[in-house]
Amino acid sequence: MPLIFMKWKGKFQERTRMQDDILSIINESGALNAKVFSLVRLKLLASLAALGLDGATYRELKAALDINDGVLFANLNVLKDMGYLTSEKITSEGKELELYIITPEGQDEWKRTKTWLCRFLHCGA
Amino acid sequence: MEENKNLAVQVPPLWSMIMEDRKKVIAFFKELGFEFDISRFDDRLVAQKLVCLLDLKGINLGYSSSIYVRGPYSPDLTQDLFEFTNEFENLKTDIRLTAPEKEAAGELGRIFGLKPVLLEVGATYGFYALRQNCDPLEALRLVKRLKPFYSEAQVALGISKAKEFLFRPTPKDLKDLKEETGIWQRASLKTLEH
Repeated sequence: MPLIFMKWKGKFQERTRMQDDILSIINESGALNAKVFSLVRLKLLASLAALGLDGATYRELKAALDINDGVLFANLNVLKDMGYLTSEKITSEGKELELYIITPEGQDEWKRTKTWLCRFLHCGA
Repeated sequence: MEENKNLAVQVPPLWSMIMEDRKKVIAFFKELGFEFDISRFDDRLVAQKLVCLLDLKGINLGYSSSIYVRGPYSPDLTQDLFEFTNEFENLKTDIRLTAPEKEAAGELGRIFGLKPVLLEVGATYGFYALRQNCDPLEALRLVKRLKPFYSEAQVALGISKAKEFLFRPTPKDLKDLKEETGIWQRASLKTLEH
C-alpha cells in the first residue's frame, strides 16, 4: 500500500476515533475549574501565563484587553481568590502601579484548560 | 555506528548556541552600562525593549518577540532573566561584541538613554512598523491604543527616537530632503548677503 495512502488512512481513523470519543472528551471537563470559563478570565489567564514571573500592570491589562475597570477589577480579584494570581505594588518611573503575576497553580490550571479546549475543538464538536 | 568527529566540531550543540545568545545579551548590557536588577520592574522592561530594538535593528540575539499585553515581548527572555539572574545581574559573559554591534549599542544608548518609557514606545512603534509592516499612521494608532497611559509628548518622543535608531534615510530620502529644504537654505544665504 502506498505510504501516502497509509498516512491518510491513519489520520482518517484518528479523526473518526476522536469523533466517536466526544463524550469522553466532554466528560474530561469535570477535572477543570468551571469558574475559569468566562471570556474575561480566559483572556486574563492566557495573557498573564505568557509573561510568567514578570507579570503585567493593571493599566497594561486594561488597555490591551479592552476591559472596563469594574469588570477587570472584579475578575482579577476572583482569580486572586482562587489562588491563580498574586498582586503587588511596584514603582515604575516614579508612579505606583499594581502588578499582577500568575502563580504556579494558575499556570497549571491554564495549561489544563488550554489542553482540554484544544482537544475539544480538534474533535470537531 | 562510529561517531563522525568532524561533524561534532562543525555543529555546536544546541545548548551551547542558546547559552551564547544569553551571553551576547549580557555583553550588550555591559556595553550599555545597564546594571540589571531583577527585582525592579523597570529593569525587566528595559531588558525586553533593548533586546527587541536590537533585533529590529538586525542584530539577532536569539530571543524573538511577539505582541503581548505588554507590547513586543519575549517570554523566552523572561524565562532566562529569572533562571540565570546571577549572570545577568553580575554581567557575566565572555562574549566580545563586534565593531558593528558596539556601534549599534552606542547608538541605542545615546538615543534612548535606558529610559523605560522611550524604549517601550520606541520598540512598540518599531515592531508595528517593521515586523507587521504597518504604515506610520497605523503604527502610531496601534501604539496609542496599546499604551494610552503615556502622554502625547512621551509617545511623540519615543517614536522620534525609534525613527532615529531604526530608520536610516535612503539616498532618495536625502535627495528629496535637499530639494525640499534647498529653497529655504538659498533664501537664508541671500539674506546673509544683504
